Order: sequence, then structure tokens, then C-alpha cells
Amino acid sequence: MEIVDLSTLPQKDTRYDEFLKQVCEKYEMDHAAYAGMNPAAGSIHGHVTYSDEWKAHYQEQGLHLIDPTLHMSQRSIAPVDWSRLERGKDFQRVFRDAHDFGIPDQGITIPVRGPYGDIGLLSATRECSREEWKKLVGSVITDLQSLAVHIHDHVMTSESISRMLYHPTLSSREQEILQWAAAGKSQQDIGDILSISHRTVEVHLRSAREKLNALTTPQAVGRAIGIGLIYPG
Amino acid sequence: MILVVDGLNRHLFSDVLDDMFQLRARVFGGRLGWDVNIEDGKEIDEFDHLDPAYVIGLDDGGNVVAAVRALQTTGPHMLSDVFSAILCGEAPLRSATMWESTRFCVDTQRLSRGKDKNSVSYATCELMVGSLEYARSAGIQDIITVIDPVMDRVLKRSNCAPYDYVGKTVPMGKVAALAALLDCTEERIAGVREFAGIEGDVFIDEDKALEMFEAKKAATLSPANRDHKPLTDLEKYFVEQMHAAKTESERQAVLDLIETLSEKFTPEQKTALLGTPRAFAHEA
Repeated sequence: MEIVDLSTLPQKDTRYDEFLKQVCEKYEMDHAAYAGMNPAAGSIHGHVTYSDEWKAHYQEQGLHLIDPTLHMSQRSIAPVDWSRLERGKDFQRVFRDAHDFGIPDQGITIPVRGPYGDIGLLSATRECSREEWKKLVGSVITDLQSLAVHIHDHVMTSESISRMLYHPTLSSREQEILQWAAAGKSQQDIGDILSISHRTVEVHLRSAREKLNALTTPQAVGRAIGIGLIYPG
Repeated sequence: MILVVDGLNRHLFSDVLDDMFQLRARVFGGRLGWDVNIEDGKEIDEFDHLDPAYVIGLDDGGNVVAAVRALQTTGPHMLSDVFSAILCGEAPLRSATMWESTRFCVDTQRLSRGKDKNSVSYATCELMVGSLEYARSAGIQDIITVIDPVMDRVLKRSNCAPYDYVGKTVPMGKVAALAALLDCTEERIAGVREFAGIEGDVFIDEDKALEMFEAKKAATLSPANRDHKPLTDLEKYFVEQMHAAKTESERQAVLDLIETLSEKFTPEQKTALLGTPRAFAHEA
């Protein structure tokens, strides 16, 4: 499995669960969960890899109302390691129960802030030593950041109201670079052609990909052509 | 040392944030003459209400000497809004692994020239190291930062030259503003550390910072002679007793005794004395 990509999964309700399962496999996590809030549509989304028993218990007990991994993490701009939350009463309440369902209290939540007050939270957990956990997080955190935005943007644009709002606006630099990519030029070539650094090309490409909700440059090129932002190469 | 304050811990550090907002008022409202909103001597804008992260430089006395604010580029941030002139109307960059940094400032009044630990140069570099390392640990790869040309020169001189710029330099107040790109690579961080001679961990954790501020408060409150009159023997006795108190019940006994003998003091003396145990309670 090369990349974890939502657009390659069948358009079914279960595809977000499938996506989270793939995230766990690729990044050696025990469980992953996504929660999204969209004030524009007044909707809340939740997808988890947890067992049905835990899901039922979580809802019955109303744990979502106090779960600090949801309520606290969204106030940070950086991923929140749950060790930052563990002293709180609510954390202990939620994770005392979670323990009985085999869910570890070692985890991380990545907050995503969208342009219209929408918020996404991608969490991942794993039972292992503290050292191992720190090492793992350090090596996967950049990927998890990208995937958090990937699933969040996907979920948000699955609602028609947000799809209208989330219209991708590329800068002329981003369009120009995508146009050269469509013409088959490498990042190095594009840097030379435009007399800008390789890193500048990279940073604009990354931004263009994310605005087009694509994980690879060829995908981004395809979508940009599809909506008429650039010409076929 | 560097303290990170965000939406999770800002209730613990409201004094630090107030100091920072005052510093920002002096720098952006005063020195740079930007059109910023200042109330009560503090510069606060709408982005401060969006739970940004603040990377704050403190001196050994716990005073705020430098600060910068970070926001995600996936959501509302300054370049997508108030600084759009810099981008000439173009759409801003949006990336999961790029943060925007704004309001980078250093207290040039409190700090000295030169390169020692209390210099503008050192505080600037330490703040850069702190913000780059904080971003890096969050999986962030690049920072887009809105700065003035002076800060741009400082970055270049400090082994931390931007690898590129976005948009153009626009007039803003007495100076100008521009958007620069910085990568959060180990090479860049090592470069700044080497330039300023910064070694080891620059961060102070939440608990240590709280301890430091508590001790600072105790130092300004104690002992019971805020009017600088010599302590009476009775006052001295209570201060010593409080020092000697090892358990909570001993501490309470001293408080009770102060209460019992309260007619021996002026109201000011009593308040100060009762404040003294609180200040020392931390040590007890």
C-alpha cells in the first residue's frame, strides 16, 4: 500500500472507516478516529475503528460530552499528546471506561481548522512504551497532519453547502507550477524555468494539492484540468 | 527560555499574556506605527480570539522579552484576511504542514545590544529556535511569516535567511511588511543555534514556569513590610514560624495565631502577614 487515499476507496458510507483502518496499518496504530464539526451545515461527523461495544458504551454514557480529546484538542494548533490531558477529571472518567474496552490512554489528537469555522480531529492511539510512542509519533506526525486535513476536507465537501464554499482558489503561482507539472516537468525543472528554489516549488505544489484535495501531483493536475484551472499539457 | 502558551493552558498564564500584549502594543503600535487596535495598553486583535499558539521568550526573571503568534494556514489566518495586500489579491498558501507566524517582536528596551544572554540578538535567536522546534515537533515543514524589513535583515544576519518570499513588500505604518518563507529543517535550527551559541533545551515546561511565577510573586509580596518599615518583633516571629512550618497543620496553626493576635496589627500589616504565609505556602 503506497498512500492512504480516500479517493481510491469506493464511494460508500464505510469508506471513512476503511480509510482509518488503513491509517492504523500504515502508521502502526491500534486505533484511529475522526470527528468533524461543521457549523455551516450544523452537522457532526464521527468515524472510528473502535469496537461496536465501545461505540455503544461511549454514546450511552454521553462520554462525547466530556471527552477532552475532543473538547480540549480543538483549542490547540499543534497535535495534542494525550499526556497533556491526563490530569483532568474528565480524561480519567473517559479512559477508566476505555480501559475496560481495551483502549489505551496513550494517544494523540491532530486538530484541523477549516476556513469556515469547521473543525476536524484525527486521533490515533497505541499501547506501547512511552519511548516507543514518542519515537513513532516523531516519525509519522507530518504524514498524520496531511491525512488529518485530507479526511477533514473530504468529509466537509461531502456536504453540498460546504462543497459550494470550499471552491479551490489557486494563486497564479500555484497555477503556473501545476501547468508546468502538467507539461511533464519535474520539480527541479520547474524551479529552473521559473528561477525559484526547489523548496518554493515544493511548497506551492503542496498547497495546490491540498486545495484540490489531492495527495499526489498527478491527481492535482487531473483535477485542475477537470475544473478548468489549467490546460491539458 | 521559551514558554508555549495555547488554548489549553492560557488560563494558567494570563499575566504572561498581558505582558506580551503590552510588549506588542509598544512594538507594533509604537515603534513600527502599524494600524493596530490598542486597549488598556494592550494590542489584541481578532486572531488572538481564535486560540492561536504563542511562543514566548522569557528572561531569567520571568519577564516577557520576545514573542510570536502561530496559526494554521488551513483555517482563518492573517494572510488570508488582513494582510491580503501583501499577496496582491492572490489566494494564500494553504497547507496542513505550514503555519503562519505573525507579531514577531522583541523588547529592545529591556534587552541590551551585543550578543550575550540578555541581548536583543540572543532573545531573537532563541525565539526563532523555539518557534521552529515547536513547529517541527508538530510535524510542520514550513512557516510563512509576516515581518518588517528590519526583521528580514535580522533573519539573514542570524543564519536564518528566508528561502523565498511570497507576494510583495507593502507599506505599513512607519515601515513595510512582507511575507517570508522559512523551512523547519534541522539544518536551519542548527544554524541559528550555532550563530547565537544556544545549547540544550530552550523550552521551560508548564509546571516549571508556574513554579517560577509563583516564586516571583512571593518575592514581591513578602515579607510583611511592603511600606519598607522595619519588621516588628512579632511580625518577624510569624515570618520565621511560617518558614519553619513543615506540615499543613503547622501552617494552619500559625495562621490561626495571626488571626487571634490580629488586634496587635494595623489592617495593612495583617493583610500582608496573611499574604506572607500564602506566598510561603508554596515552599512549605
